[in-house]
Amino acid sequence: MALSLVKKAILANPHSLRKNVGVFCNAARNHWNYQYKPGPYPKTMAERQAAAKKYGLSIEEYQPYPEEMGYGDYPKLPDIGADSKDPHYPYDLPYLKRNFNEPFHVASEIIGEDRFNISVKHRIPLWQQWTWFLGVMFGSYMLYRYLDDYKIGRPVVAKQYPQEGPHYMFCPK
Amino acid sequence: MGNLLGSFNARNVNLNMDDKPTFDPQEGFSYERKPREMIAKEEDLISARIPPKYRDYCAHHLLEYQVCRYKNVPLMYKCAHEKHAYLNCEHQDYVMRMKEFERERRLRVRENRLIGVA
Repeated sequence: MALSLVKKAILANPHSLRKNVGVFCNAARNHWNYQYKPGPYPKTMAERQAAAKKYGLSIEEYQPYPEEMGYGDYPKLPDIGADSKDPHYPYDLPYLKRNFNEPFHVASEIIGEDRFNISVKHRIPLWQQWTWFLGVMFGSYMLYRYLDDYKIGRPVVAKQYPQEGPHYMFCPK
Repeated sequence: MGNLLGSFNARNVNLNMDDKPTFDPQEGFSYERKPREMIAKEEDLISARIPPKYRDYCAHHLLEYQVCRYKNVPLMYKCAHEKHAYLNCEHQDYVMRMKEFERERRLRVRENRLIGVA
């Protein structure tokens, strides 16, 4: 079955098959191919426009990373984790919450649904969490410091043991 | 006051729970106080393996109670009288400690008053 499919593919479109095999072999051997590599950093307006067109963005939303970061003309996309995207939108690729031809974020590997949500919105903001934590800790400590002067106990002296000197009763001899 | 707040106002004279008396035991008494006597012998307590924290002035009752238990096991109810005697003795011991506490507190208040007058 599989062999007949391969045979059919070879006979139907030999040129495309040879190209694809080349690309996949190269990717497996070198982990990337020349098509993954971004172009040089765009310096002029025309270059920016060309880069924006290349990545399927409008010139307004296209913004490259700083040149020293070495990402070339790769666009700087907003930091939105896959978990923060609308789950009910009819994506072309619902598994990745991504549309066809939509450019990948540079860190898309790590901000996917399986790793880390870079734009997570907590139910309780982080400053409130810190305020509560430090408030409870320092509040308890201040309470302890304050109540340290108001120790209470039962109204008894130390227990009397015969080896600790003579003790006396409250009656005459 | 109640038990929990019993020593609360004694902090005014810097007296807390389980402090030791600092005044002369005979001070303020018109008669000579009767000294407490230890009835149980130390060798017996060691022999019966009574822990040191129980070797107080009631240890002879505890010793009797333990001997009774040893003789009557498993019919422990036969030692009810010995146990009662021991617990009564401990209660009297505690009352004596409370009296000592109150005496100490009053003596300190009196001393403060005398210093204030002088």
